[in-house]
Amino acid sequence: MKDILAGIMLILATGVSMAQNDVAPIRPVLSAYTIEAGSSHVVDTYLSPLHYSGWHMALGYDRMQAMKYDPEHWVQQLIGRLSFGATKNPVRSATRWQAMIDVNWGMQRRFSLSQGLKVFVGGSSGIEAGAYYNSSNSNNPVAAKSAWTINAIGGLIYNTSFKQVPICLQYRIEYPLTGIFFSQQYDELYYEIFLGNHSGLVHWAWPGNFSRLNNYLAADFRFSGLTVRLGYRLRVFSSKVNNIVTRDISHMAIVGFTTEWLSFGTKKRDLSKAKIIRALY
Amino acid sequence: MKKIQGILGFIVGIILSAVFGGCHSVDNWNNDYYGNFDALWTIIDEHYCFLEYKDIDWVETGKRYRSLIDPEADEKEFFKVCSAMLDELKDGHTNLISWFDVSYYRKWWSDYPQDFDLRLIQEKYLGFDYLSSGGMIAKLMEEENVGYIYYSSFAAGFGESFLDNAFLSMKDSDGLIIDIRDNGGGDLTNVEKLVGRFINEKILAGYIQHKTGPGHNDFSEPYPFHYEPNLLHVRWLKPIVILSNRSTFSAANNFVSIMKQLPYVTVIGATTGGGSGMPFSSELPNGWSVRFSGSPVFDSEKKLTEYGIAPDYPVTNDDYETDTILETAIKYLNFLASENKQEPQE
Repeated sequence: MKDILAGIMLILATGVSMAQNDVAPIRPVLSAYTIEAGSSHVVDTYLSPLHYSGWHMALGYDRMQAMKYDPEHWVQQLIGRLSFGATKNPVRSATRWQAMIDVNWGMQRRFSLSQGLKVFVGGSSGIEAGAYYNSSNSNNPVAAKSAWTINAIGGLIYNTSFKQVPICLQYRIEYPLTGIFFSQQYDELYYEIFLGNHSGLVHWAWPGNFSRLNNYLAADFRFSGLTVRLGYRLRVFSSKVNNIVTRDISHMAIVGFTTEWLSFGTKKRDLSKAKIIRALY
Repeated sequence: MKKIQGILGFIVGIILSAVFGGCHSVDNWNNDYYGNFDALWTIIDEHYCFLEYKDIDWVETGKRYRSLIDPEADEKEFFKVCSAMLDELKDGHTNLISWFDVSYYRKWWSDYPQDFDLRLIQEKYLGFDYLSSGGMIAKLMEEENVGYIYYSSFAAGFGESFLDNAFLSMKDSDGLIIDIRDNGGGDLTNVEKLVGRFINEKILAGYIQHKTGPGHNDFSEPYPFHYEPNLLHVRWLKPIVILSNRSTFSAANNFVSIMKQLPYVTVIGATTGGGSGMPFSSELPNGWSVRFSGSPVFDSEKKLTEYGIAPDYPVTNDDYETDTILETAIKYLNFLASENKQEPQE
């Protein structure tokens, strides 16, 4: 009996000892704040058959963190973006204003290929909402745009350095696989929608009728105390539904800065033995 | 390793399929006379809503006018060719807008007598003494014991309090004359706002339809729309006479089509100018805009009023010193009032 009790005590003591040594890894949040500026080329056949081109700008927020579930392999990402711009027809006699807000949340699995090189692949879901406005049109001046999509996302990350300045190079792409999106019918006035005719406005999105390829190339220069992000975005959007074609291609230069921060919470923890798992670097 | 290769291949596959399969095609026209003409013809061919209703052979029309283009001529001559082609639609809602001119088909009123002189009414019948707000003037014609409202344009709003005050001042009159001669239309929301003062319950105001594709017969099902009475302000449910002429067009024409279904409303004057297609806009490669009827509006019996609405009593003005249409309306309301007084009591 004494031997059994001793054995039970030993097992319990071992369990307590192991619990005290098992410290959760530190998962800093990487936040990036960016401004984008460039050009936009738009055609929306509901508003006009002509190709409009002009300037485009955006404000972006990008948040990445290794996931609690499996921090070594999984990263979650939240992206928010507010974009706006003005384009003109080929003879510069008419103006189209545009504004869009989009928010995406996703999870990516990372694979290490070699020293410094990683591949990310995963999925995300997000919504976008905005409109184009042609100031010179009569009863059809606005084309509202909104969608909810489930996307495939992927990327390559390479951490290197140049003259002792760590640099993180990244290329990311996002492409919607399915979802739903809004479009008025061919020559339907918004007045008719206002009167209550809501049929034929919501559509199933698939690559054949809703295609949006978001290419993102960036380099984070990690100076002591400050990380500068420089990049380029190529967004190619095309949709065809209700016999209406919309194409929007934008080229944007990106500049911003990133920060990494921790939330310590209220519990006291001995972090001296905790492993740091970063989302990107 | 194979897994990584698969992932990279997936990413490349997405890029390639998006680049080659994702861009949908759009028509392109050259910015020369023939390119602009073809763009104009195609816009009307694919978007104008009355080609079948008006039995227009648009292919033949296009060929005939395209042959008139002189590539060496001034752009003002080219504008005339395009304008003449659009005139074949016989539609007051169709305009070609350039930096130097706006085309306009006006025969729907210019081929007919005007039957209206606002100055004559203001001077002879109102004595330059009336209430006014926005696009409306109102007065109780005391000698005739008839209320009179002139609404010049549905593009102009009117004050709800103004109308309350006008109705209350006319409450003991034999009836109300709503004069919308020379009212070229405007906002349908103002039509709804005004009709709401003359009904006691929800009514079927009409139907609206739109094109669903480029074919001449690609249309949606007509969608019914209703108007509600305005319960927050004074409503007029006594006899009403609406005065119309050939320049009563578009939203004003729509107002007549809705009010005419009410049993206490009578229309006196000339057939309205029509214009039941709600305008849509597009543009040509040279920057000229084109406006055209794109969305038909039907009356409550699903009839199109594109060619106008006939009055209950057709009357024309005999001379420039008398408004015969107005005087007929006054006599009609006085007659109705005397008939009501003579009805035996049960």
